[in-house]
Amino acid sequence: MKEQRTAAVPAQTAAPTSRTAQATTIATRPLMGWRGVDLITAAMLAVAFGVMFWGFDTFIYPILSTLTTGFPPAGELMLGVWLVPAVVGGLVIRRPGAALFTELVAANVELFLGNKWGAAVLLSGLLQGLGVELALALFRHRRFGVVVAVLGGILAAVFEIVFYEWHSYVAEYSTAWKAIYLGCGMVSGAIIAGGGGWALVRGLAGTGALNAFPPGQEVREPHPV
Amino acid sequence: MSRTPSEAMPPECVPPESVIAKAPAAAAGALVEVRDLTWRPFGRREPVLAGISLHIEAGARVMLAGPSGSGKSTLLRALAGVLTTTETGILTGSVLIDGSPSAGSSVGLMVQDPADALVAGRVGRDVAFGPESFGMPRDQIWSRVRSALASVGFPYDEDHPTNALSGGETQRLALAGVLALTPRLVLLDEPTSMLDPQAAAVVREAITAAVRASGATLVMVEHQLTDWVDEVDRLVVLDLTGRVSADGPVAATLARSADSLAAQGVWVPGVAAPRPLDVARELCTPTLAGGSGSPGGSGSHGSPGGPGGPGGPGGGVLVSAESVSVLRRPRVSVMSANRPATAVQALLNVRADVSAGECVAIVGPSGAGKSTLTALLSGVDAPTQGLVRAGDVLMVGNVGLGGLGANPPADIDRWTSRALAARFGWVPQQAEQAVVARTVRGDVLSTSRHLGLDDDAAQTRVDGLLEVLGLSALSSADPHHLSGGEQRRLALAGAIAHGPSVLVLDEPTVGQDRLTWSAVAGVVVAARDAGIGVVLATHDPLLIALADRRITLRAGRIDSGPLLDSGPLADPGPLVDSEPLVDSGPLADPGRVGRWRGLAGRSGPLSLLLASIVLVLGAPFISDLRTALIAIGVQIAVASIVLGIGRPPWRRLLPGLFAVASVSFSNWLLSPGHEVSAGALAGLRVAFFVVPGVLLASRIDPSALGDHLGQRLRLPARPVVAAVAALHRFEGLGEHWDQLSRIRRVRGLGPGRSPLGRGRSVAALTFGLLIQTLRQAGRMAVAMEARGFSAGVASTAAGSTASILVPRRTWAAPAPWRASDSLMLALGLIVAGIPVFLSRL
Repeated sequence: MKEQRTAAVPAQTAAPTSRTAQATTIATRPLMGWRGVDLITAAMLAVAFGVMFWGFDTFIYPILSTLTTGFPPAGELMLGVWLVPAVVGGLVIRRPGAALFTELVAANVELFLGNKWGAAVLLSGLLQGLGVELALALFRHRRFGVVVAVLGGILAAVFEIVFYEWHSYVAEYSTAWKAIYLGCGMVSGAIIAGGGGWALVRGLAGTGALNAFPPGQEVREPHPV
Repeated sequence: MSRTPSEAMPPECVPPESVIAKAPAAAAGALVEVRDLTWRPFGRREPVLAGISLHIEAGARVMLAGPSGSGKSTLLRALAGVLTTTETGILTGSVLIDGSPSAGSSVGLMVQDPADALVAGRVGRDVAFGPESFGMPRDQIWSRVRSALASVGFPYDEDHPTNALSGGETQRLALAGVLALTPRLVLLDEPTSMLDPQAAAVVREAITAAVRASGATLVMVEHQLTDWVDEVDRLVVLDLTGRVSADGPVAATLARSADSLAAQGVWVPGVAAPRPLDVARELCTPTLAGGSGSPGGSGSHGSPGGPGGPGGPGGGVLVSAESVSVLRRPRVSVMSANRPATAVQALLNVRADVSAGECVAIVGPSGAGKSTLTALLSGVDAPTQGLVRAGDVLMVGNVGLGGLGANPPADIDRWTSRALAARFGWVPQQAEQAVVARTVRGDVLSTSRHLGLDDDAAQTRVDGLLEVLGLSALSSADPHHLSGGEQRRLALAGAIAHGPSVLVLDEPTVGQDRLTWSAVAGVVVAARDAGIGVVLATHDPLLIALADRRITLRAGRIDSGPLLDSGPLADPGPLVDSEPLVDSGPLADPGRVGRWRGLAGRSGPLSLLLASIVLVLGAPFISDLRTALIAIGVQIAVASIVLGIGRPPWRRLLPGLFAVASVSFSNWLLSPGHEVSAGALAGLRVAFFVVPGVLLASRIDPSALGDHLGQRLRLPARPVVAAVAALHRFEGLGEHWDQLSRIRRVRGLGPGRSPLGRGRSVAALTFGLLIQTLRQAGRMAVAMEARGFSAGVASTAAGSTASILVPRRTWAAPAPWRASDSLMLALGLIVAGIPVFLSRL
């Protein structure tokens, strides 16, 4: 058999992990052997999320942030929205760096559109992406279920708040309020980014739009022939 | 022959200089040897390609023909070596190009939709993508780019923006991008299917001339064989089982298999044009007609029928556009630093009306405003001037829940989603975006259900339409799994199933074979006969011939040709070209010339970005109000040096200032002891990096930033290139979003006023946009891989013993670091260092 390009080897189906009954399809090896379609898809997903962020920032966020004026930490319940690209990128591509790359490109979209935080979005994107990367790495890029996604959402929120927002947006809060602020962010990261991102990837896989990626292969035939 | 494709990678030791042919015009064509090629994608029982063997002589020109689904495009992708880019499956057999299994730059593939191949904002940079991928030195790249553009007769220079091109120009640009690699095998996938006849002729000439001049071997796929029979010398016919069913010289093969090809739906020369299918009129009856005339299909909720209801031919005017103009303003863009800020006059003072029981064709060259006018006539878009008004017959009666309410607005673009859906059906040009449900049948039923029509009658009608349009077998399939032609027929079924009174179709026959063309034309004729006012925007001469009258548009105005029906004798304007009225004049803002644009105006993207980032890092060191005031005072002092003289862009700063205010407030509120100083300090700390950051970021050109990240910071090239290519899609994805929301509105699925409804609508739009995005990313990946996107890593990825064949990716644009960049970064470091320094005192 002569294959023209090795960068596009059909995905192998991994043996099911011992703990789950359902087979998990992992990315083709080597794990860092990003295919072209992996990179382009991650970048395009990020830009699509950038379009939605723009709409969210322009139309929805001002309303919600006005509503939460009386209790500012509640505003942090929206944090999860910005963490979705990292979770979705990581769960779709299933390679180290996918979450970080997707979140960073999405942050760049916000930067170039003109956002309210300036270049700080890049720092946020970096921290948020690294949070999800850590969660995926803890499971050695072999499990991509809802638990991993929720953990990723939580860690992304923790990284963002503890390493950045505590020192800038809420630096003068009392310690108790900082803790409440962190709690709100973690809840949001868990539900919106973790649960929401996971559900979104499952839904997309069901439409056949992810056939080139492990989640799409899981919903089709797990073992060819 | 092994089972797993990756096992048998032969060590390839081609010397690097043969990776790209040195001469601008490659000498000869490639010899192609396909042996027993079989491909079965995972998830399908039958192979798409079944044991294909072909021997194609160097310099031959081969046409691949066959019915839809016979694997023509798949075979092209296999020849280009990009079959497994987005698909997974089992591939056996071999493809040898000049005896080598590695396609490399010797094979060029032009994908079906040229927009999928765009990777850059400027024409020259786009053509340079292939040469960059194969590591060509910069000086050679640009001479190659110029000769490739010249060989396709491209009318603009390298600096022309790619988003200001017509369909035909984009197709020629894509061809130039393929030819820039001087391939010895050129593969074309339906190169003219998206174009109007004039543009198609120009592209056809460009292809023929360029391929002849290069002497390359040509393999192409086309649905319409008629225009190409003189340009190719061999015809290979594939059948639905993925096998070669006929092969030989064009004339002889056509003579032998024309009838069988026509019977399978292929458009072949010399066979009489297909006729519209006989479709039962009851399937298309307008629901608003109530009980008048034909009862079949219309729901029990039908209105009592207003006086003179649009029930039969010769009824009154249903919708009229009264001197409408549309001025398209540029969308919000991430490419702010280099975008031409021009508006396009898409339509100017156009009058058109549509009556019950007539079929009106809107014709004219690409870019003339046909789609814009159809969007107005279906109420999904609003004119910037003028009014689109519904006729009296549409203003009465209720269709289920699609009532107009007490005081209905005259302009239909302000109607509620349900009121619009009850009266109008619309199929957009991008019919693949028109999906609103999870199954084919559910999709076609959804508008009837949202309007609360009688369910049994609606189901009967839907099943009838699916049968006629050849979709019955797919009724429980996910609409996203359908082919392009099937999705277009699905959109037609969905637009008419609930019985609208006006049916507006934008290019309904694109991608249809002879058989499905008959079905689509049959529905159009039946709708007209049932009393619907039908509007067709189309290039299809057979479809135009079915219309009762035409409206010819040229450059956004009514063209008063001999067949003109209505409208004033508008000044025909510059009719020589088919371009929209886009003023793509000098791109640089003339107001800036000669004015001090500040240090930022002279700095590259990298120093601007780094300066913004160091300010973010310096901000946490601001620990007291005195430091904050000193630091921000210094920023204000140097502002005019850095940013130049002029009014601050308040609109751009507004979100940031809002953020500063809200940070101040919340920190005051939640600080220990409600201290005002705490709030002020927190606000100033954020202002320290937000305000300069926003202003500096607006000067960064994302494409140039990519060049700098790749060359100066030596970031891996492929992620950077992928990110920049994706950023160019921002505006396109925003348009997708708008289109999806238009479709949902005209299908009666608009959000309504409740927050819950709006939330659901946003969720549905998000999901739809992501699906479109993923599909587009896949098509982009095929086009980019065909131009060598992963060429530099392909030979090392499998850890094979092969030496690196392709040099590292090169960059067509330099990434200079000037004295002003050093100054910019130094200034950033100094200002960011102020809080650090003061905190140590």
